[in-house]
Formats: sequence, C-alpha cells, structure tokens
Amino acid sequence: MSRRISTATLLVAVLAAAPLTVAGATGLATCDSGSPDTWQPQEKLAAMLKEKGWDVRNVKVDGGCYEVYALDDKGERVEAYFHPVTLERVKTAAE
Amino acid sequence: MSAAARELRPTVPVWDALVRVLHWSLVVSVAAAWLTRHSPGRWHEWLGYATLAIVAARTAWGFLGSGHARFADFVRSFPATAGYARDVLAGREARFLGHNPLGGWMVVALLTMVALVGFTGWLYTTDRFWGVPWVEELHDTLSDILFAFVALHILGVLFTSARHRENLAAAMLHGRKQVGPAGGESAGEL
Repeated sequence: MSRRISTATLLVAVLAAAPLTVAGATGLATCDSGSPDTWQPQEKLAAMLKEKGWDVRNVKVDGGCYEVYALDDKGERVEAYFHPVTLERVKTAAE
Repeated sequence: MSAAARELRPTVPVWDALVRVLHWSLVVSVAAAWLTRHSPGRWHEWLGYATLAIVAARTAWGFLGSGHARFADFVRSFPATAGYARDVLAGREARFLGHNPLGGWMVVALLTMVALVGFTGWLYTTDRFWGVPWVEELHDTLSDILFAFVALHILGVLFTSARHRENLAAAMLHGRKQVGPAGGESAGEL
C-alpha cells in the first residue's frame, strides 16, 4: 500500500472522528437578541404557545433564538424559532 | 517476497458487485446524512431512509448471497475472534481473503449502529416522539458511537492493509484480492 493512500485513509479516520467534538448553532435562524439577561423566560413562551393550543415538546436556545419543538394547534409537527426578547416568531431558512 | 513477485500473484474475485455497491453507497449516504444534519428541508430524513434501505439490503444479502458476502463466511465465534485478537497482538495473525474475525464483527457492529441511528431518527419524526429531548439525545449519542466505529473500521482496514501489504480499500472498489503465497496459507484463509 502506498504512503499516499495510507495518509488519505488516516485523514478520513480523523474526519470521521471529528463529529465527536463539533457542537453549536445550527444556523437555521439567528436572532440579534443581546445578553440573555434581557430575555423573557422560556416558560413564558411555552405557556403562551400552550394557550394557542400547541403541544410544546422542547424549548432550546439556538443562534440567539428560542427554538421550539411542538405539535401546533392543527396537530402539525413544527420546529419554530422565536425572538427571546419580543417572543415574536422568526422565519427560519426552511420557511 | 519482493514487490515484483507479489505483483505476479494471481487475483481472485472476493467482493461481489452488490457488496461493493452497498458498501460505498452506505459510505456516501451516511456522510451526506451527517452533512445535512442541520439543513433545512427533508434531505436528512430521506438520507436516513436510504441508509436503512441499504442496511436492510446488505443484511438480506448476508443470508441470500454467496461466498464472502455471507455472514456465515465471516461472523465467527467469540473464542475464535478472541484467538484472532491475541494473534494480532502477538503479530502472528492469519490473512483472510474475506473479512477477518474482528473485521466481521465490525461489519455487524456498523450495520447495527446505522440501523439504530436510522430507527431513532425515524422515531423523532413521528407525532408521538417529535421534539422529545431523550429521543434526540439518543439519536445524537448513537451517531457519535457510529462515527467512533467508523474511525475504528478505517484504522482496522489501514492496519490490516499494512500488515499484509495489500490495499483493502481498493479491493472493496474492484472486488479482487491476491491469493496467498504458497505454503503461507492459514486454515482460515479460504
């Protein structure tokens, strides 16, 4: 086996191991939301959506936004983004 | 044996066309699924279904196929596998035309992990489990374990290629391997 092939294989092995160390924002949406101290609590957003008839499954922070996984009032699966200060819906790259 | 003499050794078909096509399409679809993990749209989902279809086809071929494609050809008992591992550590392991005992279990591990990652990914798209944090975490953790196995698999291929002075990755492309040197064959080789 040539040295070049073994080097390439090693590189692939390192790249394959890379996912173990990668984390962070998904880039689906970003919010210019400043310091988290100024944000409204996640619970308030979840309560607001439940009021609308949503079945909220999870709220996370992504790209400075609140990212909500839920079934909406029509029973549709949604992954929705909200501005954490205004709690306004933010359009994602998918929408 | 000199390099020139090795070149003269005849080659035999080892990996049939289906084994090779399924191997590389699994590589491509798993890599593409990884790259699209946060992409908008449903690419990641469709790639997940593709990996599950490939795993199902390879598993079926492991029972219906012939020769070195069969699980019966390369899935060996734990004592036999442990014996092979000891031989590797002692630097006196036999060469196998098909998968060696550790490689054989790696095939099983990789197929199982891709199936589990695909299954938990599908689960996450059902109304019942959509957005449920533990399903997402399980899917992520299983993918990390899958990629650790992929890294080990590549290192194993690299190591075994070097040990027996043959390019195993290339053999998975063209499907052929050289027959062993006369007198140097082990019981497990063919």
